[in-house]
Amino acid sequence: MNNCLRLLIVCSFVVGFAVNAEIKGLIQVSAINGDEQLSWQQGGVGLYRYDTDHDGIIFSQGLVEFRHDLTTAWSAHGVINAYQDPESTLGFSQAYIKYQPLTQSRFKWHLRVGGFYPLMSLENPDMGWISPYNYTNSAINSWIGEELKTFGLEATLKLPGRSFKSPHSFSFIGATFKGNDPAGTLLSWRGWAMHDRQTLFNEGIRFAPIASLSTPQLQFQANQVLPFTEVDGRFGYYAGIHWDYLKKSQFRFYYYDNNGDPAAINYKTGQYAWDTSFSSAAWLYKLTGQTRIIAQVMSGKTAMGKNRGIDNRFYSHFIMLSHKMAKHRFSLRYDYFEVTDIDGWQLDPNASQGEGITATWRYQLTSNWQFGIEGAAMDSQADNRAAIGFKSKFSQQQISLHAQFRF
Amino acid sequence: MIKFSFAFILIFVVLNSHASTITIYDQDQQPLQNAVVWLTPLEKQQKVEPSETPFIMMQKDRQFIPHILVVPQDAKVEFPNADSIMHHVYSFSKTKTFELKLYREQPQTSVVFEQTGVVELGCNIHDWMLSFIVVVDSPFYAITNEQGQVSLNIEQGKYTLNLWHEGFTDFSQVESEAIQLSSDEYSYQLKQHVKPIIAIDVDEFDDYE
Repeated sequence: MNNCLRLLIVCSFVVGFAVNAEIKGLIQVSAINGDEQLSWQQGGVGLYRYDTDHDGIIFSQGLVEFRHDLTTAWSAHGVINAYQDPESTLGFSQAYIKYQPLTQSRFKWHLRVGGFYPLMSLENPDMGWISPYNYTNSAINSWIGEELKTFGLEATLKLPGRSFKSPHSFSFIGATFKGNDPAGTLLSWRGWAMHDRQTLFNEGIRFAPIASLSTPQLQFQANQVLPFTEVDGRFGYYAGIHWDYLKKSQFRFYYYDNNGDPAAINYKTGQYAWDTSFSSAAWLYKLTGQTRIIAQVMSGKTAMGKNRGIDNRFYSHFIMLSHKMAKHRFSLRYDYFEVTDIDGWQLDPNASQGEGITATWRYQLTSNWQFGIEGAAMDSQADNRAAIGFKSKFSQQQISLHAQFRF
Repeated sequence: MIKFSFAFILIFVVLNSHASTITIYDQDQQPLQNAVVWLTPLEKQQKVEPSETPFIMMQKDRQFIPHILVVPQDAKVEFPNADSIMHHVYSFSKTKTFELKLYREQPQTSVVFEQTGVVELGCNIHDWMLSFIVVVDSPFYAITNEQGQVSLNIEQGKYTLNLWHEGFTDFSQVESEAIQLSSDEYSYQLKQHVKPIIAIDVDEFDDYE
């Protein structure tokens, strides 16, 4: 579908919903001083979104988030994003229907059906699943934003503290979904990365033309991942729990399993189903009204091939300190990430690891305008870089200025 | 003539009333803050005419403000939304069951509270939002301060002292006792236990759930 037709469909959809809808949006323009390592988006092995080829001004975020209430209980939600990199694109990153009945019971519940993110993280509560803290997301949430999406049904049962006269609130979440079979591809062949580029429905993500894709064993794999596609016909699932104490402490634990059949492959699109499962624990704690700590840990495994020829473990954690002072917000984050290769395939080494520091200052000039600056540095190493002529280990830095307009 | 009579009654009431301080203590003899106190005369009770000016229960920063609103019977209450997001208001309380569907700025209608009692308010979108409207059949009402005190311009005499606190085990129940107000100060100790109030402090990122 060409971009003009896509734009026309999206605009018609927005206009159709504009009546009685809550619509908000954001445009972000950034000035980038990127690293010399070419970004994975351009087919390189760099782990930041930008590189020196893209130094200058870039349209880094454009999004419209809407909510349309059909009745008291039924509402339609969506997020439309526009990006300039790696090529101009426009489309949905979320679109779902929510059913949240008004009930006299002390227990509350709701359903979501459509395409959406599991709410396992506490770093991305801003509109359109962006972060109000750092511009560059943690490694964990960069990966969720690019390779994880639920196309299915999610049910939530809530025990709000106010209903039980308790300072503790709990939510129990269960979901089943189709698609998302190739999730794990990027972790294996590129490794973790740090960025704020979310993948739109039906979008593909490039990565470097690693040597193993030229072997007979991996000849059917495309040099891109279509992360949300269905390959094996099986349902995946996840379950989670949220525990809030007076909103001062917020804890979330999720177990996710795409239930992928590692033997399944779609020869036409060049996509395997990866058997990917992981646990994620996220915690937010407000030290004061102005200062908070956010931390998250993710640990999981992913495998592909009839005999699980590719079999990897992946792990990452981050800890962030964010302080708000009048119109200023300072956020400092440390990330650690690694992929461990446990299979016997010498032809396809997948081990990688790294760590990074990201420091951000944001200034809220008015309710519409926000400006910010960010510096980020990362060391990383990956076993599959040498075979395609790159250093196995390198450091990267990225400095960026940002102007955001919200409406 | 009506205006003249009204002014005369007002002057009469003002001249015959003076500030009485009532202090409320909990069962541990500690002053109780945020208790709703109202007195209904046991003698010469008059129907209170509802005010034309509506009372305001606002939604701001994802909370209801005020947390407790006391209004006389038949009062009209408006629910303006000062947030940039939409809110919803509902009550399942027997005193007044109603729903204001999701709206921004100002809902289409105000709500009249015809019956006395306690109305618990919530928002279906933000389930931590909680507030109370206490509807009373008296013009003599107030909410206790940090010292557990209210000051009412009221004549000395016989009254029913009515009390309500959100820490009561049953929200819908009011504690009442007949009293003789014969001096400027009066103190009262609650007969029931009051649970501590749960105050949830939220910010703009807390509705990601």
